[in-house]
Amino acid sequence: MNKKLLHKTSTVYLLFSVMLLIVSAPLFYYITERLYIEETDETLILHKNEFLKYSLPTLTTAEIQNWNKYNRNIKIERFNNSGKDTIFYKSYYDALDAETEPYRELNASILIDGNPYTYSARINLVETEDLMKSIAILFLVIISLLLVGLFAITKRLSINLWKPFNETLNQIEKFEIDKSDQPKFIETNIEEFNRLNKSIEKLIKKNTSIYHSQREFIENAAHELQTPLAVFQAKIDTLIQSSDFTQEQYKLLISLNDSVSRLNRLNKNLLLLSKMEYDIYNEKQTINLNEAIEKHFDFFTEQAKAKNLIIKTEMKEAVAIKSNPVLAEILISNLFLNAIRHNVNDGQVLVTLSNHSLTFSNTGQSQTLVANKLFNRFSKFNPSEQGNGLGLAIIKKIADLNNWKISYSFANNLHSFSLAF
Amino acid sequence: MCELVINAKSAIDKISTYDYDCILLDLMLPDGNGFEILKELKRQNKTEGVIIISAKETLETRIEGLQLGADDYLTKPFHLSELLVRIQALIRRKNFKGNNVVAHNEIEINTLSKTVKVKGSKIDITKKEIDLLLYLIGNENRVLSKSAIAEHLSGDMADMLDNHDFVYAHIKNLKNKLKDAGCSDYIKTVYGLGYKWQNE
Repeated sequence: MNKKLLHKTSTVYLLFSVMLLIVSAPLFYYITERLYIEETDETLILHKNEFLKYSLPTLTTAEIQNWNKYNRNIKIERFNNSGKDTIFYKSYYDALDAETEPYRELNASILIDGNPYTYSARINLVETEDLMKSIAILFLVIISLLLVGLFAITKRLSINLWKPFNETLNQIEKFEIDKSDQPKFIETNIEEFNRLNKSIEKLIKKNTSIYHSQREFIENAAHELQTPLAVFQAKIDTLIQSSDFTQEQYKLLISLNDSVSRLNRLNKNLLLLSKMEYDIYNEKQTINLNEAIEKHFDFFTEQAKAKNLIIKTEMKEAVAIKSNPVLAEILISNLFLNAIRHNVNDGQVLVTLSNHSLTFSNTGQSQTLVANKLFNRFSKFNPSEQGNGLGLAIIKKIADLNNWKISYSFANNLHSFSLAF
Repeated sequence: MCELVINAKSAIDKISTYDYDCILLDLMLPDGNGFEILKELKRQNKTEGVIIISAKETLETRIEGLQLGADDYLTKPFHLSELLVRIQALIRRKNFKGNNVVAHNEIEINTLSKTVKVKGSKIDITKKEIDLLLYLIGNENRVLSKSAIAEHLSGDMADMLDNHDFVYAHIKNLKNKLKDAGCSDYIKTVYGLGYKWQNE
C-alpha cells in the first residue's frame, strides 16, 4: 500500500501520543488521588492536634452533647476502639442530597474528665472526586490540544519542507524524453534537494542527448538506405530479365527479390516511426472515420480474398475524430492488414465502430497473445510470420500521439484490437 | 536518346538548349534543389514531362512538386518496371493530348474511357485489370516480380503489404477474360518470381 511520507511520520507520532495518553491517564489519576488522600489525612491529624491542644483541656462531660450538636464533622462518641488512632474510609448517608457519600474518618481515643471517649473526625470526599474528575478532564484537554497542535505544525512544516521535492517530482512526472521542453528545477536552500535536482538534471541531459543521437541515427540510417536500396532493387529487376539461369541461380534470385522488398518495407516503416517521433505529423484535422475505413475497403477485401475471409462491419454513422489524416489512414490500414495477416483460412474480420471506439476482431490462433510485449518493435509472436514486426508498434505510436488507448483482448476465439478515443 | 547530368547547373544548361520528351528529376542535387529546375522549366515555358524521383516522401513535398509542374512523383526505392510504365503513360499523355489508345496486336486499350477491345469487340473488365494490363503490356517481354505488380496495383498502400497473393487472383482473372475473348495467351508465369507479357 502506498502512503505519503507525511502520513508515515504522523502515524508514528499519533501512536506514541495515544499510548502515552492511555498509560499516563490512569497513572495520573491514581497519583493525584493518593496525594489528595494524604493531604486529607494530614488535615484530619491537624484537626485532631488542634482539638487536643485547644478544645480538649476545657471540655467537660456535660458539654459533649453540645459539642456534638454544633459540630457535624468532629464528634465525640462513646469509647469504642482499642485506643490507637485509626484513619479509614467510611460512607454516610447524606439526607440533604439523599445519597451515601464517601468520607475519610479519623478515630482517636481521648479522655474527658477521666473517662475514655472516641474522637471521630471526618472529611467529605465527594468534592475530591469532583476535583479529580476536573483535573482528569483538564489533563485530557491539554493533551489533546497538544496533540492536535503538534499534528498541525508537523503537517504545515512538512508541506513547506517537502515543497521543493514535490515540485521536482511533478516536473519529472511531466517530463517526456521525446518532447523538447526540459524540466526546470527551482533552487532551494535545502542541500539534499539541490543535490537531487542537480543529479536528475544531469541524468535527463545525458539521456536526452543519447536519445537524440539514437533517433538521428535511425533517421539517417533509414533515409540514407533508400538510395542504395533503390539501386539494389533496380539491379535485381534488371537481373531477372536475363533468361539463362540455372535452377540454383533462379532460387537465389527469388529469395534475393523477396528480401529486397522486405527490406524496403522495413526501411519505410522504420522511417515512418522515427518521423512520428519527430512530430512531423502534428497537423490535425477532423476526420470521418467511416469514410476513412470505406476508402480502402476494396483494397482490404482484395487482400482478404486470398484467405477467403469474411469481412463484417458494424459502423455507427458519421464518427468524427481529430487526427493527422496520414496517420489515421496508416493506423486503419495497419489494423486491417494485421487482422487479415494473422487470420486463418475461411476466417473472419469484424470491424466495429462506435462513437468512442474502433475495434478490429479477427479469428486466428486459438490462444491468447502475450499482451505486454505485443506492441514492442520486432516482437513477433510467431517468428515464421511474414510481418516485419513493426505494424503494432506503429499502431501504438499513432495511438499515443493522439492520446488514444489501444488494447488487446482475446475472447470467443477472436483476437481484438480496440482503440478508445 | 537518353542524357544524364549530375547537378542542377548542367541540368538547366541542358533544358535551355534541348527539348526532351521526359525528364527524370531527383530533388536532392549536389548544388541545389530539384525544384529550381521545375521553376526554370516553367519560366522558359517548356512543356517537357517531368517525373520526380526522390527519397522524400512527405505529402507536402509531393504536392509542392506537382504544383510546380511535375507530372508524376515516384519515391525511392521503386521498381524499374514501375518507372517504365509511368514514363510511357506520361509520353502518351503528352503526345496524344489525353485522347489515347494503346494498341497491342489484337488488343486495344482506351486509357481515357477505360475500355478494352479484343479483335474489335469490347470486353467486360475492371479498372484494376486495365491497370494491370497496361502495366504488363508496357513492360512487354520483361519479367515482373510479384512484389512489383503488387506495388503497382496497391499504390500508396504498398508499403504495408507483405503478402502478394492477391496478384495471382488478378492475373488469373485477366488471363481468363482475355482468353474468353479469343486473345492469345501472352501472360506467362515465371515460376517463383512473377509474370511476363510475352509477345511472340
